[in-house]
Amino acid sequence: MTVPEILFHDVSKFYGEVLGVNKVELRILPGITSLVGPNGSGKTTLMNLLTGLIHPDRGTIMVRGLSPRDPERLMRITGYATQYDTAPRGTTGFDFVSTGLIVAGNTKKQAADLAWKALEHIGMTEAAHRKVASYSKGMRQRVRLAQAIAGDPDVLVLDEPLNGLDPLIRAETVALFQDFAAQGRHVILSSHVLQEVDIISDRVIFISNGMIVAEGEIRGVREEIHEHPSQYMIRCRDASRVASLLFGQDHITEVKLHDDRLGLLVMTRDRVAFSRALTGIALDGHTIESVMAVDANVDALYKYLIGGSE
Amino acid sequence: MNAVFRIRQTWIIARLLLRRVFLFRRSSWVYLLAMFPAVVFLAHGIQMKIQNQWTPSRVTPSALLESIREGAREDEVIEKAGIPIKDRSFQSKQKKQLRNMEYFDGERWWFLSFRDGILQYKHNQKLVDFTKDRLAFAGMFQFYYLRLAIFFGCLGIFANLFRGEMLDKTLHFWFLAPARREVLLAGKYLASVIAALLVFTVGAVLGFAMMLWPHHAAQVTAYWQDQGLSHLFSYISAAALGCMGYGSIFLAFGLLFRNPIFPSIVILFWENINGVLPTWLQKLSVLHYAQSLCPVPVPTNDSMPVLIRLLISPADPPSTFTAIFGFIILTALVLWVTSRIVRRLEINYNTE
Repeated sequence: MTVPEILFHDVSKFYGEVLGVNKVELRILPGITSLVGPNGSGKTTLMNLLTGLIHPDRGTIMVRGLSPRDPERLMRITGYATQYDTAPRGTTGFDFVSTGLIVAGNTKKQAADLAWKALEHIGMTEAAHRKVASYSKGMRQRVRLAQAIAGDPDVLVLDEPLNGLDPLIRAETVALFQDFAAQGRHVILSSHVLQEVDIISDRVIFISNGMIVAEGEIRGVREEIHEHPSQYMIRCRDASRVASLLFGQDHITEVKLHDDRLGLLVMTRDRVAFSRALTGIALDGHTIESVMAVDANVDALYKYLIGGSE
Repeated sequence: MNAVFRIRQTWIIARLLLRRVFLFRRSSWVYLLAMFPAVVFLAHGIQMKIQNQWTPSRVTPSALLESIREGAREDEVIEKAGIPIKDRSFQSKQKKQLRNMEYFDGERWWFLSFRDGILQYKHNQKLVDFTKDRLAFAGMFQFYYLRLAIFFGCLGIFANLFRGEMLDKTLHFWFLAPARREVLLAGKYLASVIAALLVFTVGAVLGFAMMLWPHHAAQVTAYWQDQGLSHLFSYISAAALGCMGYGSIFLAFGLLFRNPIFPSIVILFWENINGVLPTWLQKLSVLHYAQSLCPVPVPTNDSMPVLIRLLISPADPPSTFTAIFGFIILTALVLWVTSRIVRRLEINYNTE
């Protein structure tokens, strides 16, 4: 059985003379995939291309075997919480969520049930019959989320979905994404909160100036970056001795002893050699309490690949 | 997902939008445009009713009043017709003595104007003139209703179908629905056509009813049994086809142009010079077909400038069948072109 996937092949999009994205090649597997990049890097363009709100000037896109130019079929399996926080005039939160479900062919009763379920999920039932125009930013965010998940889609596309959510709803929402992903569905999101991306993402796509800079699992992406030495934090009792042993190795570029003298930060150009050396040190009787990769996270990768911090 | 499902989807979208189209506060001026003739004829009817109530009891035989010739002296007139119901004397700037007398013959008011004691001018006006009112309604319908009210009303409703949502940044809401863009277009068009038809046909019917209201019941019944019903049907048809025709054009304009007002002004000009264009060019006009469905020709008289007369009367009015068929072809063609545009349409609010 083939794995359902989202494919971008040689996709380019220009807004007049302004570059949206250029020559994008992507194969996105089920799970949570985060798009990471600075403002204007092309994250929303990728999402809009994927959902057919805009069309590529070049290349092809397939979403689980469907073309974004076929909204009739695509939007049955796709939910998109956009960055646009407007709703048609006079629309209540409930209308906002249920309209798409009715258009999809559900009866009014079915659509109402599904809409209430989604609104319950994100804690919006009380305000459901109020007009969207009267909602706060956070409420608009939540109602967009409810609309995206209401149809129980296989592909969930979310533009900055955690913005404006309070911590409790935020945690529930993340759990919801993880639940979706665990069922073999696609969850594609963009976020500025890199720590959150780090925790919830199975894969990350780094994008800058409309180009895909790197993509894959966070650890895999880190291993591809050779120009920056890998950083590890080691906790051990005789940190000074371990530091001196490590410093003798060719691949070690820097060792910093922690102020409490119970830990050290090591930078190495060869992760395999470092692992081997550390094993040797442990076998010699030095107690190593923990070893943690410091820069195998989205924040560090962002700095390495794109520069600066979000 | 077959054709039946798509038709159902079209109706669902239209139904969802209908309430919004009707309750849209920004379109209240469309109701005013549509109801204007009814208001005018209501005011006219009230005026006639009041006049009827104040009909003088003193009646002068019409034959007697007709026998009075211009050039007669004041005392001769008074001797013949008796003391007038209204009599007003005054002096002109040129120191001429002026006098106006009014008589009533039971159906008409007679107005006699004297200068220096000599009758200069005599005319009469029916208290209630059914033929004149029907012609007034025909004129109002063709000059105002088709050319202005329906034209601008449809511009307001249809040009905003997509353009308005682009400006409000809400079009993505519909584009993310699981429906073909053509179905969305058809649903939006259907909702707007239903709204425009209701507003403008109700406006036409109300105007027609207000025109009939002050007249004598026997006169109205006779007219109704003779041509009244078919006239009303023709007015409704002309209004309905006007809405469909202009609607499809303005829908396309809303998609093609960032500001649909300017091309609409060109269309307004084109529609109004239609009468002086060659016959084959006249066929490329909504007004050409809609006007030919109107049951009563616009009243013209020789005192009107030739150009105006040319503009208001189509040189070669098509048959009813041709008119309806022409409308359907025109509308279908425009909708087909529009559906191609909608398929390629992208959400890019920043450029709006």
